[in-house]
Amino acid sequence: MNNISNEDTIVAISTGASSGAISIVRMTGSKAINIADEIFITKKNTTPSSFTPRMLTLGTVKTKSFNEQAMCVIFKAPYSYTGEDMVEFQCHGGSQISQGIMKECIRCGARIATNGEFTKRAFLNGKMSLSAAEGMMDMINAESDAEVRAGFNLLSGKLSTIASRAQKELTDILAEIEVSFDYPEETIEYITKKSVKERLATLRDQIEEVLKTASTGKLIKSGINVLIVGKPNVGKSSLLNYLLGSERAIVTDVAGTTRDTIEETLVLDDIKINLIDTAGIHDTEDKVEKIGVDKAKNLIKQADIVLFLIDSNRNYSKEDEEIYNSVKDAKHIVVKTKSDLESRTQKHFDEEIEVSTITGDGIDLLKSRILELTKLSNIPAESVIITNERHKEALKNASSCLDRVIKNITLDTLDLVSIDIKQAYINIGEITGNTTSEEIIDQIFKKFCLGK
Amino acid sequence: MKNKEYDITDYAKNIENKEYIINDGDSFDAVIVGAGHAGCEAALALARTGQKTLVINLVRDNIAFLPCNPSIGGTAKGHIVCEVDALGGEMGKQADKNTIQLRMLNMGKGPAVQSLRAQIDKTGYHRSMQSVLENQKNLYIYDGECTEIIASNGKLEAVKTADGKTFKTRAVVITTGVYLNARTITGEIIKKSGPSGFPYSKGLTNSLEKLGFDIRRFKTGTPPRVDGDTIDYSKFTEQKGDTNIQTFSFLTKKANKNIRSCWLGYTSPETKKIIMDNLDKAPMFSGVITGLGPRYCPSIESKFVRFADKDRHQIFLEPETVDDNTIYIQGMSTSMPMDIQHKMVESVEGMEHTKILKYAYAIEYDCIDPLNLFPTLEFKKIKGIFCAGQINGTSGYEEAAGQGILAGINASLYLRGKEQIILKRNESYIGVLVDDLTTKGTNEPYRMMTSRAEYRLILRQDNADQRLTEIGRSVGLVDDERYKKFKRKMKQISKLKNEIKRTIPPSKELKNFLESLGEKNADKGLTIENLLKRPAVKFYEANKKLKLVKGYSREVLNEVEIDIKYSGYIERQQMQIDSDRKLEEKQIPADLDYSSLAGLRLEAREKLNQIKPLTVGMASRISGVSPADITVLLMYLK
Repeated sequence: MNNISNEDTIVAISTGASSGAISIVRMTGSKAINIADEIFITKKNTTPSSFTPRMLTLGTVKTKSFNEQAMCVIFKAPYSYTGEDMVEFQCHGGSQISQGIMKECIRCGARIATNGEFTKRAFLNGKMSLSAAEGMMDMINAESDAEVRAGFNLLSGKLSTIASRAQKELTDILAEIEVSFDYPEETIEYITKKSVKERLATLRDQIEEVLKTASTGKLIKSGINVLIVGKPNVGKSSLLNYLLGSERAIVTDVAGTTRDTIEETLVLDDIKINLIDTAGIHDTEDKVEKIGVDKAKNLIKQADIVLFLIDSNRNYSKEDEEIYNSVKDAKHIVVKTKSDLESRTQKHFDEEIEVSTITGDGIDLLKSRILELTKLSNIPAESVIITNERHKEALKNASSCLDRVIKNITLDTLDLVSIDIKQAYINIGEITGNTTSEEIIDQIFKKFCLGK
Repeated sequence: MKNKEYDITDYAKNIENKEYIINDGDSFDAVIVGAGHAGCEAALALARTGQKTLVINLVRDNIAFLPCNPSIGGTAKGHIVCEVDALGGEMGKQADKNTIQLRMLNMGKGPAVQSLRAQIDKTGYHRSMQSVLENQKNLYIYDGECTEIIASNGKLEAVKTADGKTFKTRAVVITTGVYLNARTITGEIIKKSGPSGFPYSKGLTNSLEKLGFDIRRFKTGTPPRVDGDTIDYSKFTEQKGDTNIQTFSFLTKKANKNIRSCWLGYTSPETKKIIMDNLDKAPMFSGVITGLGPRYCPSIESKFVRFADKDRHQIFLEPETVDDNTIYIQGMSTSMPMDIQHKMVESVEGMEHTKILKYAYAIEYDCIDPLNLFPTLEFKKIKGIFCAGQINGTSGYEEAAGQGILAGINASLYLRGKEQIILKRNESYIGVLVDDLTTKGTNEPYRMMTSRAEYRLILRQDNADQRLTEIGRSVGLVDDERYKKFKRKMKQISKLKNEIKRTIPPSKELKNFLESLGEKNADKGLTIENLLKRPAVKFYEANKKLKLVKGYSREVLNEVEIDIKYSGYIERQQMQIDSDRKLEEKQIPADLDYSSLAGLRLEAREKLNQIKPLTVGMASRISGVSPADITVLLMYLK
C-alpha cells in the first residue's frame, strides 16, 4: 500500500526526556525496516525484516559509539499505529543510549520526527478520525491525569456521540420545517413555531450544559492559576517554594525582593496548578517594582483562585486591608502565614487557614481547600469535558445560533430562522464531521407520505 | 436576435426559402436529440447564438409535450423557470402565455420559499413552443429517430438516423427524456412505447454505451385522466388561483386571468381496500418493474404500502387543457391493471360514475449516470457531447429546461471556442441541480426541492433576473429588449434604496397605520427604511396608505423591501457563502490519482477517482467522502 508520506522515514524517542528504566525509540515510514536491518542483529544473525511482526526479539543494536543489547519489534503496514511500516527498539533507560540509537537511525536515512508527527501520519493514513487524533494529541501533551482522562473521553468518541445526538434532533426539526415548504399542500401536520422553539430551547440548554465543562476543560488543560498575594515579606515566596518543594523564588528578609511574578506548575491530586507569586502589592515609588505591582493587580483579575496571605507575626494593617479590597471579589482563600511564630494579630476573617512553611502545619489543609475550590477533584471519569478550543467554538456558535432562533422565531418566518438552525447544524458538524442536506431530505421521505 | 412569434398557420407562408429542406449528409454546428423541455431550450440557446442547429425529434406532435401533470412551476421548480427566463430561455414566456390558473405557493412562509405554480393548457403550450422552434432562425427540425452518435478517435463527427441519414455536426446535445428503450406498464399490459402512446427510441442506447456512457434504468409513472363532465364536484373543495402576483417571465407584462380551478379531495377507505387486495397484480410489487422510481412521486399503491397507518390520501383534480374537459388526478399515479383502475377511481367520493379517458401507466426508460458529465453538462470522455434533462436522471419539466439551457449555452460556447460556464450553487437552483447531479449522482429520478439549496435566501424567485441576466447577456442569449428593461429596473432599485433613507415625520396617518398593524412606538417619525424593517409592514400597502414614494413598480418595491427587511439574514447567508468559498475555489489537479492517498477511506478513493471533482468544494459534496477525507485531501494539496 502506498502512503502519502512514504518518502520520509521518521524517528523519535517515544518515552520522553526523563530517565526511566527503559526507553523506546520508534521509527515509521517505508524505509523503517530497512534501516533497522542495518543496525539491529540477533545472535542467530537474523535482522528485523525476517522477524514475525508484533513479536519482541532480543538482539544487539550496533551504533558508531556503542553496541547495546535491546529488544526490537516490527509492524508491517497497515497494521501499525501509523498505518506504515514501523520499528520499535526497547533499550535500557538513559538518554545516552536512546539518543545514540536515534542518531544511528538518522545516519541510515531517517529524519527526526516533528511534534505529533506519528499521530498525524496515523490520521493521514486513515488509522484515526480527526477528533480521535485531536484527543490523542491532548493525551500525549497531557501533564496531569485529569487531562489524560479528558483526552481519553474525546478519543473514545463521547463528544461525537453527544454531538451526533444534537445533530439528529436538528435534522428532525429541519426536515419537519422543510417539508412544509416543499410540500405545502399535503395533508400532514406541519410543525408549529411553538414546537420548534421549545425543542430548540431544550437542545440549546443541553449544549450549554456541555459548554459549562469547557471552563473545566480549560482548567484541566492549562492548569488552575493560583495567585499568591500579600504585603511584602508576608511569606509568599516561602509558601510557593514549600508547595513546590524547591527553591525557585529568591527569599530574603528585605521587603520587595520578588520584583516580578514567578510562575511554577505543580500537580495536586491529578490537577495541574500554576502557582503565581506576585511582587508585594503595596504603593511604591520604585519603578521596577511598580511594574510588578501593576501586573499583580492585573493577575488578580485573571486568577482562578487567589491566596491572600496575612502575617500572623504582624498586625493586620491598612496595607493588608487595601490588598484584601482588591482580592475580595475574586475566589480567594485567606492564609495566615508563619503560624510557628507568636501570633500578634486577631482573627479577622471567618475562615483563615494558618500555615507554617517551617513546620509544614496547615499545608495539607490549604491544598485540600484549593482543590475544593477548583471543584475539579471529583470529575466523574466518564463525563465529557471540552478541552479543545475548536470544539468549544463550534458548540458556542451553535448555541448562539439557536439563541437567535429562539429570540426571532415569533416574528420571523420559518424559512428565515431555518438559516440559523442550519448554521447550528453545520457548527456541530464541525465536531461530528457530518454536514449534508441529503440527510434532511432522507428524513423528510422517511417521515412523511408525500407526493403526487 | 429578436424573435418574432408566429402563429402556426404562418408557417406555410414562410417556406418560399427552401432552406428548410434537410438532406442526407448536411452539416450542422449542433444537433439536438429530442425536442422536450430540455431539447427546446438547448436548441433555442444554440440557434439564438448563431449556431446552425438541427433538432431530431420522433414526431412533431410531442414537441414540448407535458406527458405528466398539466402544470409548470411549484416549489423550487418555479424558481428554475424564472432562472431559465433570466438566462434568456423560453419556458417562462410560454408558461405565462398558456397559464389557465396561477398560484403563489408558500405565500406568507417567507421570501425564499415562495414559488409560482401555473396550471397550463398543455395543448396550447405544445403548439406555441413548436411554433417558436419552427420560426427560429438557424433552427431546423427533422422528424425522425436518432440512432447513432458517431465519434472516431474521441472526436465527434456525425449523427445517424433510423431512416439512414447522416448529419455532420461538431456538437450534440442529447435530450431524449423518457423515450430511450421505453416501455409502459399497465397491469399485465406491457408495451414498448414512449409516454402517452408516442413512439419510443430504440437504437441510441447501444451507441451511448459504446461512447462510454454508463446506462441505467429509471421508472416514473402517471395517473389516469378522466372525463371532467362525469365528476360530482360538490364532493371536492375548489382551489382558485391567486391574483396580483408575478409571472414567470421578466418580459410578461400581465399574468393571464384564472379561468380554471383545481379541486381537492381524498381517496376513500374503499380505495385502500381495493389496492391492498390487489397488490399481487401491481407490477411495482410483483417484480415486473425493475427501474428505480422516485420517492417523491410514489404510486398510490406504494403510498398505501409504505404508510400503512394512513387510511386515505389526498388527490387533486387538475384541468389538462382548455380544448376539452379532461381531468388529471394528481395523487393517483399507478400501474395497476385497467379493471382495478376503474374500481379505484369509482371508489372516490364524487367519482362514482367517472369515466376514465386514459389509463394510468408506469414507464421505464434508459438514462445515463450523470457522474459521466462535467458540471458544464459536457460528457467527460468526448468533447462536444452534452446531455440534459431526464436522460441525466432528473424528473420534471423545469429541471429539464434548466439543464437544457445550460447545455445549449455551453455547446454554443464550445463551438465558438469560448470558455464554458459553470453555474454556482450560490447563484442559482440550476447550479445546485447540476452540481448535485455531477458530484453526487442520483439513485432515483432527481427532483429539485428548496431544501436542496443551502443558500436559498439568496436564490429567490424574485431576484432570478438579478442573479442571471448578466450571465445570459455575456453568453449572447439575453437580447437588447430584456437587457434594457433589466438595466432600467436595476436603476430604479438603486434609486429607491436611496430614497428610503428619507425620514418621515410623525403624523396621525402614520400612527393610525402602524397601530392598525398592531405595531407599537407609532408616535415618532422614522426613516422609510426603518419602517420597512418592521415585520408587519408591507411596502406596497404602506405606500398606498402613506404615499411614501412615487413611480416604482410593485416588483421594485417588493425587491427593495426584501433586501431591507431580511438584511440580517441575508448577511448571515452571505457569510456562509464566503466561508464556503475557500473550499469552492480550491482547485484539484485533474491528474490526481486518489488511490495513492492512503488516508482516504476506500469508498472515498473510489468515488473521487470516478468523479474527479474540479474543486475541493465539489469533492466535499460527494456522497461517501467524509470531512476527514477532505482534511486528508487538503493536507495533501498544501
